[in-house]
Amino acid sequence: MLDFNQNYFEIFGLPEKFDIDKAALEKRFRELQAQYHPDRFINGDDAEKRLALQTTGFINEAHETLLSSRLRARYLLKLKGVDLDDETDTTHDGAFLMHQMEIREALEDVKNATDPLARIDDIAQEISGEADALKDDFIEKLEAGNLDAAKEDVLKMKFYERLCQESKQLTEKLEDELF
Amino acid sequence: MALLQISEPGMSTAPHEHRLAAGIDLGTTNSLVASVRSGTAEVLEDENGQALLPSVVRYLENGDVIVGQQAKAAQLDDIENTIASVKRLMGRGISDLKTLGGNLPYTFAEGDMAVPQIKTVAGNVTAIEVSAEILKALKERAEKALGGELKGVVITVPAYFDDAQRQATKDAARLANLNVFRLLNEPTAAAVAYGLDQKEDLDERIIAVYDLGGGTFDISILKLNKGVFEVMATGGDSALGGDDFDHVIAEWILQQSGSQQSHHALAEARRVKEALSDNEQVDVQLEDWQGSISRNDFNQMVEPLVKKTLLACRRALRDAGLNKNQVHDVVMVGGSTRMPVVREKVGDFFGKPPLVDIDPDKVVAIGAALQADVLAGNKPDEEMLLLDVIPLSLGLETYGGLVEKVIARNTTIPITRAQEFTTFKDNQTAMTIHLLQGERETVEENRSLAKFSLKGIPPMVAGAARIKVTFKVDADGLLTVEAEEQTTGVKAGVEVKPSYGLTDNEIEGMIRESMENAQADMEARKLREQKVEADRTLEALDSAMAADADKILSPDEVATLQKAAAQLQHIKESSDNADEVKAAIKNMEKAAEFYVARRMDDNVKTAMAGHNVSDFSDTTE
Repeated sequence: MLDFNQNYFEIFGLPEKFDIDKAALEKRFRELQAQYHPDRFINGDDAEKRLALQTTGFINEAHETLLSSRLRARYLLKLKGVDLDDETDTTHDGAFLMHQMEIREALEDVKNATDPLARIDDIAQEISGEADALKDDFIEKLEAGNLDAAKEDVLKMKFYERLCQESKQLTEKLEDELF
Repeated sequence: MALLQISEPGMSTAPHEHRLAAGIDLGTTNSLVASVRSGTAEVLEDENGQALLPSVVRYLENGDVIVGQQAKAAQLDDIENTIASVKRLMGRGISDLKTLGGNLPYTFAEGDMAVPQIKTVAGNVTAIEVSAEILKALKERAEKALGGELKGVVITVPAYFDDAQRQATKDAARLANLNVFRLLNEPTAAAVAYGLDQKEDLDERIIAVYDLGGGTFDISILKLNKGVFEVMATGGDSALGGDDFDHVIAEWILQQSGSQQSHHALAEARRVKEALSDNEQVDVQLEDWQGSISRNDFNQMVEPLVKKTLLACRRALRDAGLNKNQVHDVVMVGGSTRMPVVREKVGDFFGKPPLVDIDPDKVVAIGAALQADVLAGNKPDEEMLLLDVIPLSLGLETYGGLVEKVIARNTTIPITRAQEFTTFKDNQTAMTIHLLQGERETVEENRSLAKFSLKGIPPMVAGAARIKVTFKVDADGLLTVEAEEQTTGVKAGVEVKPSYGLTDNEIEGMIRESMENAQADMEARKLREQKVEADRTLEALDSAMAADADKILSPDEVATLQKAAAQLQHIKESSDNADEVKAAIKNMEKAAEFYVARRMDDNVKTAMAGHNVSDFSDTTE
């Protein structure tokens, strides 16, 4: 039986840090699935089936968390005792919010560009560059023990996650229209 | 030989006990059932050697249900009572009917059920009940072919199916009295059929499954690593399939011929499309119009449809974070992939010839049968494990009609995720939570799965209550939701009303009704049998009396016997109760006992010729 008291890094046998070995994560993930998946307990009793469902649910949640850089960062903070609430916590960095609005406006203007697909590719690249810089900053703050600043970075990551989604959706929409 | 059999948890079957299991491809146009027999998976055929069961169900006025080829043949003559392509209605609501092509030939009943009910001469039926009839026919075919009861089945569904559609499929199986081991995505089944999981030349394979069926198109990108399948991305179009190719040609035929005979044009279009797979040029005919179409003409006409599928391929690859040359295998599924233009364009797109060796109509059922065999525990050493992802994001309605995603699409299942909510008014004791599935931002653009009423929240100031809503998606991709108020530990009451499904009560009702119907059927059969028996008894008496009544019976005795016969005749004609008829037969036999005894005497032996004693003994068994 899987020990539910382990933290997500322990489950996958990974060191507790932001940069992770994704290949090792995937390998261990498959091993755990092969062992605990409900398909292995089709002919088992109800208790076994329930446990299998719970265990794989837990493994999958841990896997999803470690795969996403924002969720992984948030989880690292949680392990250090800093909890944050997606509903109520938000950044108050005015300059950052202004910059976010600028990017949004740029996305809205894409449709007016002479080559909308090229324009959206440029913006998407800018967004991912800034998101990467934010990750580097988070690692630095976390290692320095500056948890408040690290938390601020995680809150900002959510904005970039949204921007990435929106630029992706916009790309799909543009491609659909071109077809 | 091992002295000790160490069984894995959940694998507690006795060694060598083969459990009967089958894979079912419940398709829009055709359905199939396959099973593993002596180590190989094969599609099970009906008594006429047909593997494909047309997914068509016809309801007759006397309550009989006809499934398959015979129903399909009657489609044009009895379109209102002959339900085809019902898969498109699975898990759909009444409001969806307009968007489902708009040309459904059925009449829908007004009712208080959340799902549309089709009016037939035999009463109203839902898509779930129609699908259950198809499943019953397949179950019967399998149990006949395998010689025993099925322990369980794997039923395939399009990767794109949302929660309501998956639930509807499982409900149909429940009505058909089938134990579902697992709902399996069709593309995953296809990859299994090709045994790609058994290949060891690569550490990791990327497989694209291109499934162009009669009514749906699915593209799935799978990753395979040491016997573990992962669905990396899914995409497609739930309203694009071979039927649309038929419609394109049918429109061309109608335009060229000036005819209005759209049904006949469609039938001709289908024939032409199939003929063009083997011929470069095909003659076309409709009423007195004659024309001709080349494969090139055809390819040009349908190119936009093929392009549409390739666009979805592009998107799925992007979702998977891959480019097309990273794909190792392309698997072709669905009868429509027989079209050379489809094979060619898909090959061009992925830069490699697609796999077409297994009949594209059967490949999904074969894969499902292989998986069913493993799940039944017939292959304890088998490593195969299929991991699936949730095809569409799950979320909740928030302020302003927006949707907050709780579980993103392509998340590996099973998964459990909790989210906390709070009250926004002082002393608020109830809360409505609206569950949605889809990728869009607003409520209207997503599929409504259910509305929850959370009651019994303790009165508190606004924002103080902490309501934890837990989403659980099981390995079949089915969702259950629980809610609990955290600060007081009070478990809030949850009422689920599925937006597009059937409630448990409705399902129970249908099962009960079908059992009652079975009971009624049995009653009717018993009654018919007894009436036949009564006829036989009366005839036997008649012929016996015709032979010797004047010799061995007094006129009074003849009158007694005639009276008894008339009574039986009357009851036979007027009664609808088998037991009553049976009793009447007994009465008449009793009245005739003396006559039978007298005929046994030596002096009437000759008159007995041609008759058997049993004619007048207890013939009611």
